[in-house]
Amino acid sequence: MNASRTPNDLAVALGQTIVGQSGVIEALLLALLSNGHVLLEGPPGLAKTLACRSLAAALEGEFKRIQFTPDLLPSDIVGTRIFDQRESAFATVLGPIFANVVLADEINRAPAKVQSALLEAMQERQVTIGPQSYELPDPFVVMATMNPLDSEGTYALPIAQMDRFLMKVNVGYPSSEDERQILDRFAVADTQPVRAVATLDDVRAWRAQAHAVHIDEKLKRYIVDLVVKTREPSKYVDYGASPRATLALAFLARGRAFLDGRDFALPDDVRAVAGHALRHRIGFNYRLTVEGMNADTVIDGMIAAVPAP
Amino acid sequence: MVRRAAGAVALMAAFAAAFAPVVRAQSLARLTVQSFTRAADTTSPKIDLPFHLILTLRVRERVDQIANLDLPMLAQLELLGDERETTTTPSGTLYRETITVVAHTAGTIAIAPATLQAIDARDGKPKQWYTNGLNLRIAGPGPQVLRTAGFIVRQVAIALLWLLLWLVGIGCVVLALVLIFRRSRRSAPVVVAPPPPRAPLPVTRSPREWAQDALTVLRAERSRQAAVAVRSAIWRMVGASDGETLGDVLSRPGTNAPTTRALLVALERSAFTYDADLDAAIDDACGALERFIESAS
Repeated sequence: MNASRTPNDLAVALGQTIVGQSGVIEALLLALLSNGHVLLEGPPGLAKTLACRSLAAALEGEFKRIQFTPDLLPSDIVGTRIFDQRESAFATVLGPIFANVVLADEINRAPAKVQSALLEAMQERQVTIGPQSYELPDPFVVMATMNPLDSEGTYALPIAQMDRFLMKVNVGYPSSEDERQILDRFAVADTQPVRAVATLDDVRAWRAQAHAVHIDEKLKRYIVDLVVKTREPSKYVDYGASPRATLALAFLARGRAFLDGRDFALPDDVRAVAGHALRHRIGFNYRLTVEGMNADTVIDGMIAAVPAP
Repeated sequence: MVRRAAGAVALMAAFAAAFAPVVRAQSLARLTVQSFTRAADTTSPKIDLPFHLILTLRVRERVDQIANLDLPMLAQLELLGDERETTTTPSGTLYRETITVVAHTAGTIAIAPATLQAIDARDGKPKQWYTNGLNLRIAGPGPQVLRTAGFIVRQVAIALLWLLLWLVGIGCVVLALVLIFRRSRRSAPVVVAPPPPRAPLPVTRSPREWAQDALTVLRAERSRQAAVAVRSAIWRMVGASDGETLGDVLSRPGTNAPTTRALLVALERSAFTYDADLDAAIDDACGALERFIESAS
């Protein structure tokens, strides 16, 4: 590994192609460093696919996109065994999930058994086809997208399955200035391919370094307090975040500290990633919608209610 | 200078009290606690008038010293002294700690209970005992008697000043007459009355004094707890509360100066970095404090 290469080189390379989505870029890097998966929610046309494709290209890794549809089968994702007539034996064909960066586009359009197949593979990092198990490549990151505007004919992900995602990122529209830059950059020419700035070995090394980032005892208590806060009785919340949220907060805070060039995490790191780690793990009830409240506003209130160490 | 030194001692004593739980060893003494109380020698102290907080502990065992006794932070009071006395008698040990403090602002101060950790000799289980808490109402100016006494003293001083002025005036007249008598052409010297004594300035601590106290503490106690306590003190100095993050504090008005920002970042590092980096982080924080003091002077 070239020690001079850092995740920030990756961020710069992605930033040259993706305009106005710095939050998505940071989320992708955090997922890489934390060895987790990301759920991206936002309207179409916000460069989610481009971001994933660019990430794979910048890492010299393999990128696969799976468009989730109601007639998709689990074998369309993980692979299947077919009979080879010449050899008179079954041969295994690996599915598109065998890639470093997998984009599961509109994950809520496929039925539950397909979602389960994907989420199980995400968790186990291996798939079993017939009698044999196959390890998924390392690094392996799934970016799943959901469109919040068009929910007809979709299969909503249960909370238990959403919990498998390390983080959920809300992708918003770019600012006017960013949109003008998009026009300048892409309206006159095709998208320039991202050049490779790091290798998969670099990612594994960064991941080890991020994992070694120190989290002080005070900060651990703060993380637990934040998660416990989500479980307190609330007008808008039926149930709070699971202990997996506690682990996710710690992983993400470490990743953010590492991105910032530190080998110790700060309360600011925890606060910055708390929304990403909590928003898909809290069970909000109907009052939130009826009263026109925003889930992020409620989460921000919870975060503000817990004093930082 | 004396006030600053007293401030530093007070801050160190407060920090020492705050660090006591960390220093606490896992091996606790076996004690039969008979009483554990705290009282103040007045329930309504006056601003700028020292008073005492008295902690009393009676145990049945005969011990030379009492360990694992934690006092709460006395953040709203200035610590002037701390006197401890352990008396051993055939019937047990009496520990008495007298803390001399002074308040500089009026209002109600709630002092949290002191705690003692020991193994209860009655059942052999580790326990924690608490004293009673204290609510002190800090009154403004002194009572009517003191105000009357002050008024009388002021009137006497004014009368003496007038007398002095009269004497000086008469002296001048006599001198002038003497000079005239001697037909001297030299003019009489101008005699200026001494200026009245200035009223004492209100007790306010400048950022420089805060930083100097913090530097003293950090140099004396190079530990995580000292770093955390100093961070908390500097947080308060810039008007932030303990529950805020570095990002919150840096976004406050008044933290734009490079030396202030560098100081806040260095203290954050010393509070949260890993143990092997702590020494370097404290050196960094001390350097940042020195630069802050230099820029504030």
